[in-house]
This record gives sequence, C-alpha cells and structure tokens, in this order.
Amino acid sequence: MNPVATDYLLPPEQDMDSIAAAIRAAFRCEQEPPASSERRFFDSFEWSLYQAGAALEEVSAAGRRELVWEDLADSGAVLARQSISTEPGLVAELPLGPVRERLAPVLGVRRLLALLTLTSTSRTLRVLNADDKTVVRIVLEQARIVDDGPGHDRLLPARLRLVGVRGYQEEHAEVSAELRALLPLAPAHAPLLLEGLAAIGRRPGGYSSKLDYRLDPGERAEAATRTILLGLLDTIEANVDGTRRNLDPEFLHDLRVATRRTRSALGQIKGVLPAAIVADFKARFAWLQQVTGPVRDLDVYLLDFPTLKADLPAALREDLEPLKDWLAGHYDAAQRALADALAGESFARLLREWRAFLEAPSRPGADRAAKQATAPIKRVADKRIRRMHRRVLDEGRAITDASPSEELHELRKSCKKLRYLMEFFQSLYPAADIKELIKQMKLLLDNLGGFQDLAVQAAHLRETAAMMQAAGAAPLGTLLAMGALIGHMLEQQQRARREFARIFADFDSDANAALFAQLFTPPSALADAEVSA
Amino acid sequence: MKIIGVYSIKGGVGKTSSTVNLAYLAAAGGHRTLVWDLDPQGAASYYFRVKPKIKGGGRALLRGKRPLDDVIKGTDFELLDLLPSDFSYRNMDILLEGEKKKPTGQLRRLLRPLVGEYDYVLFDCPPSISLMSENIFRAADALLVPLIPSTLSARTLTQLLGFLAKQDGVGALKVLPFFSMVDAERSLHTDTIARLCAEHPEILAARIPLAAEVERMGLHRMPLPAYAPSNAASAAYRALWGEVERAV
Repeated sequence: MNPVATDYLLPPEQDMDSIAAAIRAAFRCEQEPPASSERRFFDSFEWSLYQAGAALEEVSAAGRRELVWEDLADSGAVLARQSISTEPGLVAELPLGPVRERLAPVLGVRRLLALLTLTSTSRTLRVLNADDKTVVRIVLEQARIVDDGPGHDRLLPARLRLVGVRGYQEEHAEVSAELRALLPLAPAHAPLLLEGLAAIGRRPGGYSSKLDYRLDPGERAEAATRTILLGLLDTIEANVDGTRRNLDPEFLHDLRVATRRTRSALGQIKGVLPAAIVADFKARFAWLQQVTGPVRDLDVYLLDFPTLKADLPAALREDLEPLKDWLAGHYDAAQRALADALAGESFARLLREWRAFLEAPSRPGADRAAKQATAPIKRVADKRIRRMHRRVLDEGRAITDASPSEELHELRKSCKKLRYLMEFFQSLYPAADIKELIKQMKLLLDNLGGFQDLAVQAAHLRETAAMMQAAGAAPLGTLLAMGALIGHMLEQQQRARREFARIFADFDSDANAALFAQLFTPPSALADAEVSA
Repeated sequence: MKIIGVYSIKGGVGKTSSTVNLAYLAAAGGHRTLVWDLDPQGAASYYFRVKPKIKGGGRALLRGKRPLDDVIKGTDFELLDLLPSDFSYRNMDILLEGEKKKPTGQLRRLLRPLVGEYDYVLFDCPPSISLMSENIFRAADALLVPLIPSTLSARTLTQLLGFLAKQDGVGALKVLPFFSMVDAERSLHTDTIARLCAEHPEILAARIPLAAEVERMGLHRMPLPAYAPSNAASAAYRALWGEVERAV
C-alpha cells in the first residue's frame, strides 16, 4: 500500500511556479490546480503517536476537515483518513472511522493536543505514462508556521516531495534521477512535522512519566537522591496545567504517581537528606496526595464504568445508570476543589521551596544525622533494596490462608516501596536482570493491588449507595444493581486472595532469590563470604 | 480486512462499474482499498488505466512464484490499489482444478498475506458459475449482486441463492442484491422492482440509475464519482456504499 516518498528541500531563491514550469517542460505530466490548506498536527501530552511511529494531522481545505493518519517512518505515507466536523480531542468524541480505529489503541484515554499549525500552499504535478496513468507524483509545498499572535509566522524551506505509485518503481527511479539532474535538490533530513517542531523549539518525546535516570554508581548518595527527586518534581510540574484544566485523566494520574514516588523516595532513601527537611516535605506531599484523591477516585469509577456495567447480568445493567449520573454530578465540584488547591498558595510554596531545596548547592555534613549523604549511591541502593526485599519476604511468608486482609495490605505497601527503589536505581544494575525483577515484582503487585482495590471499591460503593439513598437519588433497582456489583467485586477479591499463595511462591522462588543476591550484594560482602567459605 | 465480491451469473449488469465506483468511494472515505480484477476481459483494469497483464499469468500467482504484493498497482487515487486482470484468467478453472489441496480455497489463501494491509478488497468477478466463483464465495464476507429489474435477472438471483444453499463453507457469506441500470420511466422496471423487493427483503434500498454518464466511464477511464461527483448516479453509488459498509 505504501508508496515510497522522498522529501527534498528546494533552494530558497527559486519560486515554486518556475520550478513547476521546469518540471512540466521535462516530463509528460499534468499539473493540478494550486491548493492551500491548514495543517494542524496533534499528539497526546506523552507523545503516544510519535512513540508509535505515527503522525496525525487535521487538514482543512475548501471548507472540508479531515483527520489524516500518516506513517512517520515512511516519510508520511497516508495510512487512513476520515472527515471530522468537531475539534479533535478524546477518542470517544470522534465519529467512527478508519482514523479513530487506529487512534483508539494508541491514544487510550489521553486527549489530542495541537502541536503545530502550518498553512500550506502546494502544487501537485502528476507524471503520466502513455495511458495517461499517473506513475509518480511531485508535490511542491511551501509551509508557514502559524504561531500565536501576528508577526510570529515563520516560513519553512519549500519542499519537493516525490511520491511513488505502487507497482511503478522503474518510472519512479527514472523521474527521481532526472529531477535531481534538473534541480538543485537537497534531501530533507526530517519530515515536515519534525522540522516544524524543531523550528518552534519543541522536542518530540519530550515528556514521559517513566523513570529513566542515568546514575553513576560512585556518585554521592545525596546528589543522586536530589537527581531522582528533581526528575519527579519535573513530572509533577509538567502535569499541573493539564490537571487543573482537566484535559484528560492521565495528567492527574501522572501527577499522583510522581507524588507517591516522591513520598516513597523521601521515606526509603534513608539517612541521606536532612531529617527535618524529609519530615516537613513528607507531610506536605501527603497533603498533595490527599487533595488529589477524590477526583482520581471519580476518574477511576467513570473510566471503569463500562466494565462495571458489563460485569452485571444484562437485566440489571440499565439500573446502574443513576450511579453514573451521581458520579458525574459530583465531578465538577470535586474538580473545582482540586483546581483551587493547585492554584493556591500552599501548593505554589510547596513546589517553589522543594525546587529551591533540591537545586541548592549541597552541603554534605551540614546535617550530622544524614550519615549516608556522602556514601556512593550504589552502596545505599544495594542496602535499601536488600532490606526492603527481606521485609517483603518476611511479611509474605507469614501470610497464611487465615491471615487478615490488613497483612496483605501491609505487604502491598512494602512491595510498592521495593518496586520504586528498584525503578529509581535501575541504571545502577544490569538492565535485563533488574527489568526481570521489576517484572516479577509487578506480577505480585497486580495480585495484591487487585485484592486491595476491590476491597476499597466495594466499601466505597457501599458508602456511595448510602449517600445516594439519603439524597433520594437511588431508585430501588439501582441499589440492587450496586449490591450485585459489590457482590461481584467481593467474589473477584476472594479469587485474588486464593491466587495469592501461588503468586507469592513464584516471587519467592530460588531463581529470584539468587538474582536478588547477585544484584544487590556488594562486592565486599561477596569477598567476605568467599574468605569465610 | 473485509472482502466483497461483486458478482452476477449474468453479464452486462453493471458489475465492473459498480466495483470501480464503490472501491473509489471506500478509498475516498479513508479506507485502504484493493480492487482485484478477476475478469479476463480486464475492464476494471482499463478504467484505472492499468495494463491487464501479470507476468507469468494466473499460474504464477497460484503457484506462489509471484506474490500478490508484487503485482499490485497503485491507481491514480489515494488509498486505492488494483490487482490487474490477466488474459490467462480465462483458463482459471483449469488452473484451479490442478490444485491438489482445496481447489475452492485458493483465493482465500492468496489473500492471507494482505490482511492488515487493506481495509476492503473488492473482487470484480467474471460472470458464470465456475470453480472460480466457488473460490470467490469462500473468500468473500459479502456478495454484492447487481440486478437489472427484469424477469431474467430475477431468475439468476434465484439460481444463485439455490446454488449457495447447497454449498458448504459459505454459511457466513452475506448476499446483498441491489438494482442496477434502473430506468424509472419504464413500468416493467418499476413493477419488477416492487415485486422482487416483496419477495427478497434483503435487496438493498439504493438503486443505480441507467445513466449516460455511467457509460462514459470508458471514455474518462476513471470512477464516475471522480469526474461527475454531483451526478445522480454518483449519489446513488454513495448511498449504495453506505448500505454495504453498514452491512459488512
């Protein structure tokens, strides 16, 4: 399907009409009427499309708006297009069509944000064979970046795009060779989208919520810890605006994950930062976690709603709708409270003072209690991970079929701490090994998380039912449907509980124990062990 | 990938023009579309200005010496490709007969590597009931059957339905008949339409009129909606494509 396309830059001094005339003189071809369009490129905040090797643009021309899905790797070959009449945003808001079909799995719940707007004028020349069949297309395009405010427009170098037609490779090669002899063409090094982004100073893939630190094993623990915390602060800050405007639920989710990781790092990387600082900021980030909770709870409900509904027998499904209305009805107030908290002085001060502390020149030794501050980070990481692993094993092995659910909850908290530690410090260890351990950790966490989340959800649903009833917002059918849902959740929870022993035993395997020992035992301890053996 | 055979036992019922126009509309709607011109006369290939020629002919395709991928041609329209006809297709039954395994499952087998590359494949089928048509019935998700509103056409629909009822492996095939080359001035046409619609509720609602502009496709050598988008027949093809898209 994909015709080969090659982009060239045209010399700035030549105007497009004279180039078109030169092409017409050299080839048997037909020129289509000049066309102008507005091209708006979109991606999610975390560059989901770019990461998937795709580009999405809205092309508006002659009163028609289309979304076009292009293959970024294959110089923008069009893979799908569909007409639209409203502003591109969430997948659910788009009409059904081939672009939506491709977009849904890549974009998920994220919102499309406009990255770059170009106005473009183009001339298309179709090179014809003896049957007047188009065998190659030559597109001359002059694009201009539309920035906010007049006078900010910027002209991008004009391009000549040579687009092959499938099955006419020979003609394509001939035209390509002749064109290069005819015109002073320089190959374009980047697709138009990337050139445009570079011109406005945006780096594709510039945001990711994944932890990806490059730490040096010998680095002072205090400096490395600041690096980790600064990265998390960057993530928090990057998501504030999207959370306040509620562009999509992932902004808040990423903000909360970074907050949780910050609290975990403060608690787990012990003896490195001054104790008073740690205590102060732990409390303030706990506040942030708490004020962001209600909206996240509602988000999770609303995102899960189709699944929750599908979990019910068909006859009860419609009865659940008043629950959705209730949740949606409380959403605005919760979102407003969240936006207010994020616009308030406590939050501004938290960010400001936290950044000031992290970026201040370090003064190791200033706090005598912070004994590990000058130790190499690898040693601190080894020790913290060893300890936390030990704790996870002790807690997990103590759990029997009769243990109360609080013990599983405690184990989950320890597992999360261990997972975050391994993720913060992963660059200090062989990539394949640490990835494997993190993967094993996730399997266990999925089980524990399923168990815990279902219990919380069931309790929450019960409270909601009581509130709805008190407010006269829940017909009997709705209460019964919610009851059925709670029953289903508790059943699932029991299933997770029954699977725990097997999943924990997998994590507690000899192979994992050996890998933990190999990765996190310092060389000195190994040497000692050899000597004593 | 949805596969649609445009098929009629009878010739001259507007099969090729329907294939070409519907495929154009599918691609214009943003779907990656392939027309496979299976008729040795090569009319669909002609409309797209592509030579009806495949190196090695049908035999090379069937034997796997030439993957379909190699012989596909891009048309003048974005997202729309063509697998050209070849004169050797006239002997396709003999070639298929020679296949030891599943002589009726060969088209389906050949198309397998293209799943994921196209959203729609439309076959322009040769008239007649043959081993080739059995291949088409087994490969396709839907069979689009043009009917001229005449007694003879009605008979061919009955014949086709009778034949399909006796076949194995075509249970999921949707048969979608529609009226083609309709002359609303002729009472024979309007009467036949009324009678057949009562007998066959599965007949689609869109009706393609008998129009001079459709006949001119051979002069323009391109799909009708590409050069006469506001013509009544173009509108009828758009309505038809809408129904087909919903049905498959």
